[in-house]
Formats: sequence, C-alpha cells, structure tokens
Amino acid sequence: MPPALEIENLRKHFGGVSAVDGVSLALETGRIYGLIGPNGSGKTTLFNCITGVERRDAGRVAFNGERIDGLKPWVIAQKGIGRTFQVIRVFPELSALENLMVVTRGSGAAARERALELLTFVRLEGLRDEYAGNLSYGQQKLVEFVRVLMRDPSLILLDEPAAGVNRTLLNDLLDAVRRLRDRGKTILLVEHDMKVVMGLCETVFVLDHGEKIAEGPPGVIQTDERVIEAYFGR
Amino acid sequence: MSPRPAALAALAAVTLALAVYPEFGSGYGVRSTLQVFMWIVLASSWNLISGLTGYVSFGHVAFFGAGAYTGAILIAKAGWPWGLAALAGGLGACVLALAIGYPCLRLKGPYFAIAMLGLNEVLRALVSYFEDLTGGGNGLSLPTLDATVPIYYVMGASALLVTLVTYVIITSRFGLRLMTIREDEVAAEAMGIDTARHKLYAFLLSAAGPGVAGALTARDQGYIEPISVFPLATTITMIVMVLFGGKGTVWGPVLGAVVLFVAQEIVWARYPYVHPLLFGVIIIAVVLLMPRGVLGLLQIRYRLPRTI
Repeated sequence: MPPALEIENLRKHFGGVSAVDGVSLALETGRIYGLIGPNGSGKTTLFNCITGVERRDAGRVAFNGERIDGLKPWVIAQKGIGRTFQVIRVFPELSALENLMVVTRGSGAAARERALELLTFVRLEGLRDEYAGNLSYGQQKLVEFVRVLMRDPSLILLDEPAAGVNRTLLNDLLDAVRRLRDRGKTILLVEHDMKVVMGLCETVFVLDHGEKIAEGPPGVIQTDERVIEAYFGR
Repeated sequence: MSPRPAALAALAAVTLALAVYPEFGSGYGVRSTLQVFMWIVLASSWNLISGLTGYVSFGHVAFFGAGAYTGAILIAKAGWPWGLAALAGGLGACVLALAIGYPCLRLKGPYFAIAMLGLNEVLRALVSYFEDLTGGGNGLSLPTLDATVPIYYVMGASALLVTLVTYVIITSRFGLRLMTIREDEVAAEAMGIDTARHKLYAFLLSAAGPGVAGALTARDQGYIEPISVFPLATTITMIVMVLFGGKGTVWGPVLGAVVLFVAQEIVWARYPYVHPLLFGVIIIAVVLLMPRGVLGLLQIRYRLPRTI
C-alpha cells in the first residue's frame, strides 16, 4: 500500500526567502504525526503546498500514491484531504450549522443530520443557529475542526489545534483525534504545545529554516541535538 | 405562528394590484412603475453576484447595454418581435458574462471591480466604433411602436422572476456556497468548494436580468445611444439601492429600488438643482449609519433569516 502522503523534495520560496527548502517525508495510513519547528520554519507553508493553497516551486506530493501537486485546492479537498487553519477561518456570517452544511453536496437532509451530529459531538448543538462569527475563539476552533470532518477525509491536517482551547475542551479534542486515527484516518498536526505533541504523536518531523532536520518518535526528538539547537540556539 | 402565509398573501396582493394598475393608472404612473421594475431587476441581479459572493461588479450596466444593443439591433435590422429580442438580449448578456467572467473572476477585490469598469468602457467604445451595425455615436432608432403597457407586464414579470430566483438561491446550499466565497474564499476552496464554477454560475445569473431589462428599455424608449445605455451612474445606482436595502438578502434590493427611485423622483421634481447633492448625502448617510442596509441591519440585530 502506498503511503497516505508522500512528499519528495518540496520547495517553495517567497522572494529571496526559502520557506520550504527540499523537504521529503512520508506518512503511513492510520497514524498521528506531528510537525514542529520554530516560528518561520515552514510548517504552515508546507500545509499550504500540500493542500494547493500555495503553488509549490518544485517537488512532488502524492496522496495514496496519486500525484496531487499542481491541483486546485478544492480538487485536493474532494480527494480526501481536510485541513484547519492556524488563524481561524470559519465563515463568520453563516451559522454554525451552515458552516458545516455547505461543505457537502447531495442530500440536504443527510448533510443536516451529519452536521448536527458533529456539532453535538463538540457540544455546540445549542449554538447551531448562531453566526459563527459571534462564537468564542475556542468555539470557532471547534466549528472549524468538525467542519473538516463533514467530508470524512482520510488525511487530516491540523494547524495548531490546541492554541486557545481550554484544557477540558482540549482533552475532548485530543480524544477525538485519537478516535479518528483508530478509524484509519491519517493525521498530521502542527503544534507548539509540546505536551500535546508528545502525548499524541507517534512520529514527529522537525523543520528549521524550511528544511527537515529531524524525524522520529517524540522521546528521541526531544533529546536530538539539532532540534535543541534550532529551538534554543547554541 | 409562521409568518410565511401572511408574507405570501401580501406578495400576492401587491402583484395583483400592480397587474391591474395600468387599467387605472396615469401614463406617468405606469412609466414610473415600469422604471421601478427595471431597477428591481438591476439591483437584484447585482445582488446575486456582488451581494452573495462579495465580488463587486463595478460595470454591471455593461450587461444592460449589451442587452439593449442586442435587442435593438435584432428589432431594427432583423425585424424580430420585441419579446423574442428581449430574450435574445438576456442571452447575449449571458454570453458576454461567460466570456468575461472566465478570466476576470480570478481577480480579487478591487481588481475585479476595475476590470468590470473597464469592460463597460470597452463595450461603449466598441459600440461607438461599429457604426454600420449600431449607428455609432448617432444612436440607433427603432420603428415606432407604443408598447409601454405590454413592456410594463414583461418587466414586472422579470422583476418577480429575479426576486424568486434570488429567494431560491439564498435558501439553497448553492447560495450558502456562494456566501462562503464572500466570507472566506481560501477556506471555501480548502473545504472542497469549486469556487471558480460557483462564481461563474452566479455571474451568468446576474447578467441575464440586466440583459433582458436593457432590451425592453431600448424597445420602450425607441432610441438608444452609447451614453444612454452604458452610463456608470446606472451601475452606481444599483449598488446604492442594494447597499441601502441590504445586500445578501432577498427583499433588500427590492426595498432599495422602490425607496430610492421614489425619493429620487420626489427630490428631482421639487429641487432639480440640489438633486445630485441630496442623493450623495443619502449614499454617505447609508454607508456611515447603516453599512448593512435597512434589512441587513434588521437581519443581524434580530437574527432574521436572509429571506427577508
């Protein structure tokens, strides 16, 4: 079976800055991966290149063995890659329910049922008719998270899911991520909260200045000299 | 209690009253109402692309002008009946929207607005240039025909149809998807929404009404010239009507068209010299005090559905 996601020698630069500089990595199906690195190390740009939001300069991206680099973002999403954003991007003047319902096609009744199910899952069913823009930061984060699940993607990219979410909610969210993994989903998450990364991820990739400087289980990564250097300097 | 039967009854009553109005109304009254119908078509059509997707078309009168010339040429040079010519005007505007929308809808924000403005200027220049077909700057005269009352009915039916289409779209998931483009296009695409196709469909829909209205207006007035069917002021008026009534709602453009047309008529009749000044003051007041428009304000404040 091909890897869920395989990136080879991906490059992306903005002007003179190499945001992603020849990164290669592979994700096996049904596992949780972490992507860490100091600010500006290229994590979000890598997400954007995978999902087609940014056009890569060079390299290839394959999803379940099929090349997806160069495709439009909506085509990539329709193939089964879902993502959240570092800065929340809910649709503010659509209700929480509508935020979810717009995502799928086909039967409206089925979409509504699924959307209600997901809102109930994150305990937002009582706020379903509220404009998403009126919800709290944490609630918007949850709406964004379950909106990704509407299409039932097989690969889920989460950009800082823990930031700004309170502890109780966070534990629910992490449980949800584990259950998604148990159902065979592949998850890649960018996260600054090391406790979250260490407790959740099976393999961690470390980026620095657009390059992958380490890869391995969280325990090993924590003691890797290059990683410590990247974060704290020499 | 559902407000729906009451709203439907009110709509039916107004439609009936307007249907029998030409029997009793004065010539001036019928002509004015016909113009209100035209403004409803234009404002509601602009709302379909700009109010829903947030792509501000600053040259929407181009479709009105294209429809006017398509209709007028078919009537004057090919002898088509005006009803058929009006349909052709709508179709012509859609073809233009398809050709221009494909490249231009990739542009974002002000760039799209400016491209549309440019389209209107280009069309006006083209129409002036191809004199053999269009009469150029001298304009194009249509055979004499008094059809104001039948045109009144067709324009009224068009206004009703555009409003109905708006209602159907706004209450559908297709309409919600158009709104996601306005709300956050990047997120919409990342959620798997084919924004390019959605924008193009909305753009085509928004061109049909103005195309028909242009052809009908050409027939009613019996004479058109480049400056009379491609004026920037018409685009601005439809934008102001939608902003005043409430963009992204069903009845906002209708309310804006009725109120601003009547206000304009009154002000124009009483204070001919200060009329543009007062209109400008209304624009500034709306933008400052009610940026969402009358119905938009009510909708947000009282959490009403967009179908108001």
